[in-house]
Amino acid sequence: MSQPSALSTNGLSRRKFMAGTVSAAAAAPLLASRAEAATPVAAEPKLRQPVVTSLRINEQPYELSLDTRTSLLDALRDHAGLTGTKKGCDHGQCGACTVLVDGKRVLSCLSFAVMNEGKDITTVEGLASSDGKLHPMQQAFIDHDAFQCGYCTPGQILSAIGCVNEGHAESENDIREYMSGNICRCAAYPNIVAAILQARDETKGA
Amino acid sequence: MDAAAPRPKENMGEPLPRVDARLKVTGQAHYPADLPIANIAYGALATSSIAKGKVTKLRLDDARAVPGLLDIVTYGDMDKVDKPKFGNSGATSIGPLHDRTIFHDGQIVALAVAETFEAAEEAARLIRAEYEEEKPTATFDSPGTATIPAAGKSPLFKEDVKAGDFDAAYADAAVKIDQRYSTPTQHHNPIELFSTTAFWEGDQLTVHEPSQNVTGWKVELARQLKIDPAKVRIVSPFIGGAFGSKGPMTPRTAIVAVAAKRLGRPVRCVTSRMQAFGTQTYRAETRHRIRIGAGRDGHITAFAHEGWEVTSRPDPYVVGGTSATGRMYDYGSVLTHVSLVQADRNTPGYMRSPPETPYVYALENAMDEMAVALGMDPVEFRRINEPKTEPIGKKPFSSRSLIRCYDEAAEAFGWAKRDPKIGAMRDGEWLVGMGCATAIYPTAVAPCAARVRLTVDGDVRLQCGSHEIGTGVRTVAGQMASERLGVSIDRISVEMGDSSLPPAPVSGGSISTASVCSAVLMACDAIRTKLYAAATAEGGPLAGSHNEELELAGGKIVAKSGASAKVEDVLKAMQVGAIEEYAEFAPKGATPDALKKLYAGTPEFHGGDQDEDSVKYAFGAEFVEVRINRHTREIRVPRIVGAFAAGRIMNTRTARSQLMGGMIWGIGQALQEATEIDRRYARYVNRDLQDYLVPVNADIKDLQVILVPEVDPAVNPAGVKGLGELGNVGTAAAVASAVYHATGKRIRDLPIRIEQLLV
Repeated sequence: MSQPSALSTNGLSRRKFMAGTVSAAAAAPLLASRAEAATPVAAEPKLRQPVVTSLRINEQPYELSLDTRTSLLDALRDHAGLTGTKKGCDHGQCGACTVLVDGKRVLSCLSFAVMNEGKDITTVEGLASSDGKLHPMQQAFIDHDAFQCGYCTPGQILSAIGCVNEGHAESENDIREYMSGNICRCAAYPNIVAAILQARDETKGA
Repeated sequence: MDAAAPRPKENMGEPLPRVDARLKVTGQAHYPADLPIANIAYGALATSSIAKGKVTKLRLDDARAVPGLLDIVTYGDMDKVDKPKFGNSGATSIGPLHDRTIFHDGQIVALAVAETFEAAEEAARLIRAEYEEEKPTATFDSPGTATIPAAGKSPLFKEDVKAGDFDAAYADAAVKIDQRYSTPTQHHNPIELFSTTAFWEGDQLTVHEPSQNVTGWKVELARQLKIDPAKVRIVSPFIGGAFGSKGPMTPRTAIVAVAAKRLGRPVRCVTSRMQAFGTQTYRAETRHRIRIGAGRDGHITAFAHEGWEVTSRPDPYVVGGTSATGRMYDYGSVLTHVSLVQADRNTPGYMRSPPETPYVYALENAMDEMAVALGMDPVEFRRINEPKTEPIGKKPFSSRSLIRCYDEAAEAFGWAKRDPKIGAMRDGEWLVGMGCATAIYPTAVAPCAARVRLTVDGDVRLQCGSHEIGTGVRTVAGQMASERLGVSIDRISVEMGDSSLPPAPVSGGSISTASVCSAVLMACDAIRTKLYAAATAEGGPLAGSHNEELELAGGKIVAKSGASAKVEDVLKAMQVGAIEEYAEFAPKGATPDALKKLYAGTPEFHGGDQDEDSVKYAFGAEFVEVRINRHTREIRVPRIVGAFAAGRIMNTRTARSQLMGGMIWGIGQALQEATEIDRRYARYVNRDLQDYLVPVNADIKDLQVILVPEVDPAVNPAGVKGLGELGNVGTAAAVASAVYHATGKRIRDLPIRIEQLLV
C-alpha cells in the first residue's frame, strides 16, 4: 500500500482495470486513492464525508463519525480509544489485530468499520470481568509465559478464544495449525499452545 | 512445574511471572503508538521508486488537494536541522530530505500530514516524484560494487584477527576443506510497526517511539534539531519486539519532529510494513570462504575465515563475526579477513546476534563438513578441539561450559541413537536427519545508572532508562531489588523506557540484564549500607553486629545471631520516610570518561574479547532432528534441544523464553527467512509478512531448553551473561548438518529450501 503511485508503468491504468472487473461501488475506495485515474473521479467528495457508525464494542454502544475508508482496526484504536488491538501489518497477514465479531475471530484491519454496524465486537479490553478477574485464556497466557514483547498478545488471546470456540483446539496439532494466522515474532509458540490447552475447557464454558 | 517455568538449579533465580504480564494480556500495556494524544495529526511517508539518481521534480498538487491535508514536509524543509549521523544512535548518515540524491529504493521523499490517517495515506500516494535515474547496483556480483576492507571501519571491528602461520599449517594439513557459504538479506520484522509520535510544549520536544536506546536517541535527535538534549524526551515504555531494529534512530524521527513544530500540534507517523523494509535497517547478506586443516587425529592446525558483507554507499556498517569464530576452537593458526561490498542500498544494521548469526553459521557448517571429512562424530570433533586459552591473544576464558552443554543436550536429545550413515534413518516416507552445532555470544557489559527508593511502608520504586523489548528486563531488575532489599516483588514498581530516567545503555548486544542488574545491585547495596549503619549504631536495635552478619528479608534486618529489626522501625528511628539511592555502575576496566559517555548516549562496552584479563563468552549446544519427505522434499524440524550456560540466570522463566525464541529464530533462518532482491532495480521484492517467511505456530513442535548451571563472577558484579542472542547462533548450522545427514546434500547457502533438495 505504500508503493509510490508514480511507479505504475504497466500501461493499463489501475482504475480502468478495477472498473472493468468489479462493481463500481466495491472499487470506489480504491479508485479515490489512485493517481493513475485518467479523469477525476466524480464520487470523491462523498467518499470522504464522515459517516456516523454505531458499533457495539465490549457490550458498550459507540457512535463514531468515520471516514468510510476507516478500517475496524483504526476505528477501535483511533476513534474508540481501544488501543489494546494492535496493528502489525494492516494487510491481514500477521493476526495482531484479531478481534471477535459476533463471537467469531476477524482480522479487524481487513474489515471496514462501517461494515460492522450493529455487530457485537469483543476486544482484549472486554475479556476480564468487571471485578478485574481475568478471562481463563488471559490467565493461562501469564501462567505459561505465552508472550515476550506482548505486542501480538491481544490478537493471540482473541484468536485462541475463537479457535477453542470453533472446536479447533482438540489436539496440539490442531492448535498449532489453527493458530498459525497469528505470528509471534518473539516465537512463544510452544508456550501459546500450552496456554490454550490449559484454558480450553474453561473457555468453552465462559 | 510446567515447561515455561523451569525449576532453578545452582545460581539461578526463581521463575517469577513477568511483572508487566497483566498489562500485556489485558491490552493495557501502552506501546508508543497507543498512547492517546489530543488533537493529533497523522503522517504518512512517500518513498522513492528508484534506487539511484536524483529527484528532479516533486509534484504535490494532487496531494495538497486532498481534503484534510495539513502539510507536506519535503526537500528544503529540513535545511535548518542537521543531517543524521551513522553510528550506534543513528541508522544512517543519509538525510533523505536534505538533498535530492537517492541512495536506495524506498528512500523517504516526503511526509504528508493530515487530519486523519486515511487522508494522510491518500495524500502520500498522490505525491509524484520525477527522477534522473541511474542504473543501481543491487548486491554481490552486480556491476558497480566497490569492495573495501572492513577492519577499522567500525569501532566494534578494529582488526582482522590472526594467529600463527596459517598458510604453512594449511599446506601441511593431512585433512582439509575449502568451502564457501552464504546468508541472505533478512529484515527483523518485529510485529509492532515502526512509528514516531512527536509533540512540542514550548521548546520542549517529546517523542513517543519504540526505541532500544532512549538516551542515545535523545542526544542524537537534539544534535540534529540543534537544541539542548535536556529539551528532548524519548518515551518508549513498551516495545513490540525489536531484535536490533529499534537500536539506531532513523531519519524519520527528526522529520516528524519538524512536522509537529511546523504545525504546532502533535504528529504521529506509523510506517507501513512495506515501507519499513527500506526506511529501517536489516541484516546484510554475507558470503564466506572457510578453510580448515587438521591432522588425522582431528586436531585442527589451520583455520581461515574470509567474509564479505553488503553495505550502503555512504555508511560502512560492519557485521564482522570473525572475532568470535577466530576464537571458537583450539585452531593452532588463524587467518581472517572481512570485506565490505558497497551497493545502492539502505544501510544495514544490527539484527539479533548481528555478527555471530551469519559467521558462526558458516563456521559450524564447515566444522560439520570437517567432521565428515575426518570420519569423526561431530560432537567428538568439537571435544578434541576444545581450547584451554583462546587462540588469538592466548587469554583464558572467564568461563566456558561448552562441553557440558554438548553433553547435556546430547543426552536429552538421544544423540547416541543416531546412525551416522547418510540417509540411514527413515520413518515411512520421511528421511530423518540429526545434526548439531555450537552457539556462542560475547558477554559484554556497559555503564548504567539506576535509582532505587525504599519507603517506610515497604514499597520500592526502581527507575532505570533501559528498555523492555520482551526480554523481561523489567522483571529481572525488580527481582534483583527484591532479593537485595528483602521486599516481595509485588511491592516493587519498575519504571523503564524513558530518557528522563537514569540513563542505561542501548538494549542490544545482550548487555541489558548484566548492566541494569549491576546498577540496581549497587543502588540496593547503598540502601542496605545506610540501613545497617543505622541499625548497628550505638543504641540501635542491632548494635554491635557487623554488616556481613546481616541480611534483609521479609521487611526485616536479620542478624546471624537471630536478632532482627524491622526496616520500618529503623527508617522511623532515622526520621526519614524513604531511602533513595542513585547508583552509577561502571564495569571493571572502564575509562575515566565512561560515565560521561553514558549520559552522552555513547556508552562504552566491556567484556567479550576486549578485556585484558580474559575473554568472556556464553556458550551453548543445539541439536536438531529434521524430517524430509522423500517425494516432495518438504523439510520439517519436529524436534530441537538446546543447552546453554550463561552465568547467573536471574529468572529461569524469562531466560528459557528468550532462548526458545532464539532457537525458533534459528529455525526460521535455516529454512525460511530471506529478503529477495530484484537485481534490476535494487529493490526488495517480498516486503510483507505473506512473502517474507517467518516461523508460525505450525512450524514448531517439540522444543527443549536446558539451562546449564554456571558461576562466573568475573563478567560483572551481577555474574550475569546475556542470552537474548545466544539462542539463534548455530541453529541454522545444526539444521544444515541434519539435512546433510538425512540426504547427503550439503547446503551452504541459506535458507535451505525444497528446491535445493530436489536436484
